[in-house]
Amino acid sequence: MDEEQTGGYSDICGQCGEVDWGVSDEGRFYCRSCHNVIERTKEVVDTNTLMIGTSRVSSISKGTRRKKLEQGRAWMVCEGFQFILKHQAEALLAMGVCPQFKDDVLCQFWRMYLQKSRQAYTKNPVHDGKFRLRSQGSGESDSAPESSVMSDSMMSVSETDGDGDWASGGGSVSGHTSDGGSSVCSGSIDAVSYLTPRQRRSQGLMSMPKTLALCHLALLWAREAITLADLLRFVNGGHIPYVNAYEDFPEEMRLYGRDSLIFRVESIPSYSHLHKEAQTLAVFLELPLFPPITLDCLLHPSLLTLRYLTEVNLPDELHDWVCRIMEKAGMESSVTFEPMRSRSPLPHYDVQAAALIIIAMKLLFKLDDHTEWDLSSDASDQNKENPDGNSFNLRRWYKAMQTALTTAARRQQDNIARKHWKPQKPLYTSKKDKSVVLKRRRIAEQLQLSFQKLSGSPVAPPSSPPSSFCFRWGEEEGEEVWDGPSLHHQTLDSSVRQSGASLQPSNPEYWHPALRACKPRFCKSHYAEVEATLPRMYVWLLDLFSFLLGVKPGCVYEEVLKVERRFLGSSKSQPRARATPRETQPKKLPKRKQTRKTCSR
Amino acid sequence: MDDLESELRMAGEEQGENESSDDDESINRKRIKKPNLPLAPPLFKETTREIGFHKTTRNCLQHIREVLLHHRWQDAAEYMASYSQTLEDTAANMPQLYAEIIWRIGTEILHHHPDSKLEDYNSFYERVKHSGVKHYLKVCLEHSFHLLVNGQFEDAKRQLSIAESWRYGKLSAGQSQRIRLIQAYSGFLDYFIWCDKKATASSTDEYDAAVNQEMHSYFRQSSVNLKEIMKLPGVWDPFVLSYIDMLEFYNDHEGAVKVLYDYAYDNSFPPNPNAHVYLYRYMKKHNHPLKKLLKVLKILHTLVPSHELMPEYCSLLVQSEKEGDLQKALGVVLDLLDYSSWRSNLDVWNHLMNIIKRLKMKKQWLKTFAVEMGYRKDWWLAIHFSTFQARKDSAENRELLEVKSFVVRAFSPCYTSIYCGKAARKGVTAKAQKAKRNPKQLRNIRRLRRESGQQSQD
Repeated sequence: MDEEQTGGYSDICGQCGEVDWGVSDEGRFYCRSCHNVIERTKEVVDTNTLMIGTSRVSSISKGTRRKKLEQGRAWMVCEGFQFILKHQAEALLAMGVCPQFKDDVLCQFWRMYLQKSRQAYTKNPVHDGKFRLRSQGSGESDSAPESSVMSDSMMSVSETDGDGDWASGGGSVSGHTSDGGSSVCSGSIDAVSYLTPRQRRSQGLMSMPKTLALCHLALLWAREAITLADLLRFVNGGHIPYVNAYEDFPEEMRLYGRDSLIFRVESIPSYSHLHKEAQTLAVFLELPLFPPITLDCLLHPSLLTLRYLTEVNLPDELHDWVCRIMEKAGMESSVTFEPMRSRSPLPHYDVQAAALIIIAMKLLFKLDDHTEWDLSSDASDQNKENPDGNSFNLRRWYKAMQTALTTAARRQQDNIARKHWKPQKPLYTSKKDKSVVLKRRRIAEQLQLSFQKLSGSPVAPPSSPPSSFCFRWGEEEGEEVWDGPSLHHQTLDSSVRQSGASLQPSNPEYWHPALRACKPRFCKSHYAEVEATLPRMYVWLLDLFSFLLGVKPGCVYEEVLKVERRFLGSSKSQPRARATPRETQPKKLPKRKQTRKTCSR
Repeated sequence: MDDLESELRMAGEEQGENESSDDDESINRKRIKKPNLPLAPPLFKETTREIGFHKTTRNCLQHIREVLLHHRWQDAAEYMASYSQTLEDTAANMPQLYAEIIWRIGTEILHHHPDSKLEDYNSFYERVKHSGVKHYLKVCLEHSFHLLVNGQFEDAKRQLSIAESWRYGKLSAGQSQRIRLIQAYSGFLDYFIWCDKKATASSTDEYDAAVNQEMHSYFRQSSVNLKEIMKLPGVWDPFVLSYIDMLEFYNDHEGAVKVLYDYAYDNSFPPNPNAHVYLYRYMKKHNHPLKKLLKVLKILHTLVPSHELMPEYCSLLVQSEKEGDLQKALGVVLDLLDYSSWRSNLDVWNHLMNIIKRLKMKKQWLKTFAVEMGYRKDWWLAIHFSTFQARKDSAENRELLEVKSFVVRAFSPCYTSIYCGKAARKGVTAKAQKAKRNPKQLRNIRRLRRESGQQSQD
């Protein structure tokens, strides 16, 4: 009888700890063992005023519980970042990254970061007085000397205690003395310290872009096949949590006030920004020499160029030429990263591979808006004469590629226009804003729903499964996203000729953009100035790769120049190839320097 | 031109120095490719520090504009669904602007979308109203217009009364004006409801005191609001008409005439021909003396000499026995004929013919005529009695041809030969066309034509 009336209310009595509730005549709840009356009334269902009645009662019954939740658990900002990193790592694991990546690489990097920024694993924490370390943290945290984290984690992979660290890492910093005042304007305890100008300038603090930079470094260390461009593409496609990643925080980690300035994401960082961030982070962490990128690793230029050749539907035979250029430029061995050496910047593996392909194309087809079209006319003649001939025709490739590129660019524009940025649970910076923010959220949501009803289709773009490739080339036409027939089996017969024992490109010339005086400290990119003077086909190729990698065309251009410098510099002994950029020439003189280039061998 | 160009470049470069090189590059590229068209400056520009969210909204707005121009309402609604997130922009410096964009584009889509229903409108307006306080009154008014157009008077009235009771901050000038308009429209809606009641009351045929009472209360509510708005200078045609209709129903003729007088003759109001038309029609309906009617029409004539009431004015002038009114009528007719829309109107020419006939009975009719012709002397005949005009009139309206022939004969023999001679010949050719199939007749007609040619040479 009473159980019906209490409606299954099963909280423990505050006085005696029993669960035995009864309802008094006035409708109030009381504990039958200690007769303690609590602030809960029986839910009166009034048939006349059903709506009002229930809302009143439920607001009373929720009163105490809500208050408890409002405060949540006290937590630190770095814990929040740890959660985000964990989710990002899990998303990467789901994509097929090797399982050691999370616990043995990213986790160790994170610990090193905490130690270097003196947030944990240190005897001299940055937030002195605000919190003290708990002595029973994970084994090596504070009993071992400070350097042990790094040496342990890097060298003895088998010894680490796996998944447990993800919980205890945060735990070791959460044993603070709770400060009631600070929780008024933010959910976390130390959000304020993240927002002081001095701290922000010090670069040591975590930020949302830095989570991606850390992931990138960890992927590089694990020699995984995900380049920085891929990582950004996955983030853009929502396959790796980044925008509104805080929504996955556990219930008791409440986020509001100043926290929103730290965790709110309204932009996805650019390639160059992230690259810079990763480099500074690597220096900050004082990482040792990265594992060498050998031929069996997908990040090696040899394999990466093969991947991009497939992506842009160029024939496989071109890969031989790419490899020859790579050899000449001496890029086969020195492809790793040593943060502590100032002359060894973090390489752009993906852009470098694109540059190699562009140079190979330039070598074979010259790309001066004339030669490549003559060569493709020759190829089509050859194909006509010889019905079995399967010569690569640049014009045909260009047409197919251009169509695919236009479609893809339009698709990308459309996805940008429809991208949803705003979270389900809105953030507000101050209590005053709360009602306004919530109201705006509600109105936006309702408007969205009503327009969705009109359009009759879901708002979010149909999310495709993560893929390393933007284009689909194949034989069968039936697929939905199909960009054209594959050309990878075609030969370069018409653009190559046999000379002695080796193959030579039938195009005898190679050009190089005008050389110019350049102060590497001050000027950064000259692409905007020279773009108008470059052959259109070359610019189109730069644009193609800049679209594929999501970088600026200027970035690809600079990388091509860099690789050309090494490539041509190495063959300086040849009397005709003298295009070393060390010579400085007046800006206006020759528009384009023609240098004859014969490929030795 | 060159100076401007270099100045622009200077500004761009100064900006570029503060930004990173990548950004500078994009600016330069823009500058090279930008076409030199006189376009309005874009509302949202691509800036160097644009965050991803703003990029999305900017792109989205662009897409919406494109699909709107192509009338792809379905797609537009789809993009609008994702555009609504702009309302949540935290870095917004112009949240009102976003709300307004959503309001305007959203209504446009709703108006054209094939599946939009009244509920969609209602819910949309409700949401837009609450997205920004600045537009609250305007949106309320628009909402009630929409309901009004769809015949939902009660709902429209409710919207307006909600708007009337709404207060926010200090009453700004624009706000108080809008409030007045809202009150006027609520009076207007009361009139509609009053009309409904009237129709039901008259259909039952029985005298129902309760219905009558209700009608009267609507009348009172409405008249208070309508009177209020008519005190302000402006063009209030629908309000005036509805108010007059009610006054007429309650037999308050003096009141009605006073309202119309005030509306027509208050100098602070913008000149409004309709005001005089309403006054004239009302007076005519209630048999006011001719003199008063003429007075009203005289003003209308000065305001709009080509008004459709002018032939009526003319006939009234002819009817009046007063000295000089005939001359006035002549002036009115000649004024009318100056407008191309009246040029081949049989009625007007008939008036002119009658006036000439009556004038001819007086002695100095040619002198009177010369006064009225005045500056028209040089071209009037040439424009109305050309050969082209004759051909046109004979093809379209034979009666008109005859009337005009009479008129021209009264003025000038020279133009008579041009107009009537050609017209006669044209008449012959018309016969020829009819008789084309019959060669015998054709021969006859050829002979006729030869003869008439000889005549004109003579």
